[in-house]
Amino acid sequence: MIQVKGLCKSFDDFTALSDLNVHVETGSIYGLIGVNGSGKTTLIKHLTGVYMPDAGQIIYDGEDIYENMGVKERLGYIPDDLYFFNSYNLRDMASFYRKIYPRWNEPRYQAMLQEFGLSERRKISKFSKGMQKQAAFILTMSTMPDYLILDEPIDGLDPLIRKKVWRYVVSDVAERQMTVLVSSHNLREMEGICDYIGILSGGRMMIERDLEELKTDIHKVQIAFKDQQDRTFAELNILHREKRGSVELLIVRDSGDHVKSVLEKEEPAVLDMLPLSLEEIFIYEMGGESSEIQSILF
Amino acid sequence: MFQLDLKSRKSIYEQIVDNCKELIVAGVLAPNDKLPSVRELSATLTVNPNTIQKAYRELEQTGWIYTVSGLGCFVSESRHEPDPKQVRGLLNKIGMLVKELLFLGLPPEEVKQEIDKVIQERGVSH
Repeated sequence: MIQVKGLCKSFDDFTALSDLNVHVETGSIYGLIGVNGSGKTTLIKHLTGVYMPDAGQIIYDGEDIYENMGVKERLGYIPDDLYFFNSYNLRDMASFYRKIYPRWNEPRYQAMLQEFGLSERRKISKFSKGMQKQAAFILTMSTMPDYLILDEPIDGLDPLIRKKVWRYVVSDVAERQMTVLVSSHNLREMEGICDYIGILSGGRMMIERDLEELKTDIHKVQIAFKDQQDRTFAELNILHREKRGSVELLIVRDSGDHVKSVLEKEEPAVLDMLPLSLEEIFIYEMGGESSEIQSILF
Repeated sequence: MFQLDLKSRKSIYEQIVDNCKELIVAGVLAPNDKLPSVRELSATLTVNPNTIQKAYRELEQTGWIYTVSGLGCFVSESRHEPDPKQVRGLLNKIGMLVKELLFLGLPPEEVKQEIDKVIQERGVSH
C-alpha cells in the first residue's frame, strides 16, 4: 500500500502541491489524472523519492521512500522523459540493472526482448521514441517490482505494443499483487485498466474513488414531458440542467435508483438514463464552472 | 468468447457480468463448465484483474456461478430465484421494443407470434 499524507511542496513562491493525500491499495491499479500543470509529475517525483517533501510523508507499506534503498529496489518507475546512459545499448543497460536490482529476472528479460523484438546491440539513443519506451518497460518489468509507477506510459506506443504492455502489467497485478500508479491523459484506456481514480487539480486531490462507484454515482438523464410545465426536481442533486427543444438534459449526482424513482413520479414521456464516461466525468469536474466547456460536452 | 466495448457507457464490470449471463442463457456455457480464470481473462482482455474478480463475485452472489477453491469458477446447475429488479428491467425492455414494432406498423398478431416462437424454442430445448 502506498500512502501520501499531507504532502506539501513549493518551488520558490509557487505552490505545486498542498496538503495532498493519496491512498493506493496493494494490488490495485490507480489512475492519476488531472489537467496539465495540476501537479501529476511533481507528485510522481515525490512518490519515487526524487523530490524531498516540504511537509508530509510518502509511505510504502510502512516505510518512508526518501533515501530508502530497500523500498527503491522494489519500485519500478518509467518517467515521461526517459534517460539512458550515452552510447549504452540494451545489453549494457541490463547488466547495469542486474547489479542494482537484486530481484532482476533474467529469463523474463530474455523473453520480453524476444517478444518486443528489440535489438540488444543497437545503441538505445538510436532507437525511436516508441522503442525507447519499450526498452524502459522491458528493463523495469524485469526487476520484478512490487510497486510500479508509470508517467504517461503509453505515449507514442502503437496499439499492438500498448496491448502487450498492459498485458504484462495486469498479469503482474493478478499474479504477484503488484501495486500500480499510472498517470495518463488517455482516459478511455484508463477506464479499462484502473480500478481507482484520483483527480488532481491545482496541487490538491479533488476526487479519489473507486472507479465503479464514481461512475454509478453520476448520471446523464434525458427527459421529456407531454406538457410544457416547468419542474424543479428539488429532491435531486442536479449539477447541470439544459433544455434542448422539448427534451431536457440533466446531470445528476445521486444513486441511479433514487434518480429514477423521483423522475418517474412525474410520468415523463421519455426517460433515458446514461452513466457518464470517465472522460465526461473528468471534463465535468474540471470544467464545472465554465459554461463554455459544458456546452462542448453536453 | 468475451467481447468488451470500451466505447460503451456500460462499465467493464457490468459488461463482463452481462457477457457471462448471455453466454450461460444461450447455452454456450453449460452447467459445470469452467469459466476462464481471473488471470487468463485479465490478460486476454487487458482488464484490471480486480474488476474481473468483482464481476465473478457478483455472478456468484446472484447464483449464476459457483467457486471451487483452488480450481476456479464454474457455471451453476440450477437457476436461482429471479431478481425482481432485473425482471422488471427486462420486461420494460420488451415493452419498449413491442411499442416500437407497433409504431413501425407491424400487426399485433405478428408481434405475438414472434414472442410465442421464442417461448416455444426455449421450451423445447429444456
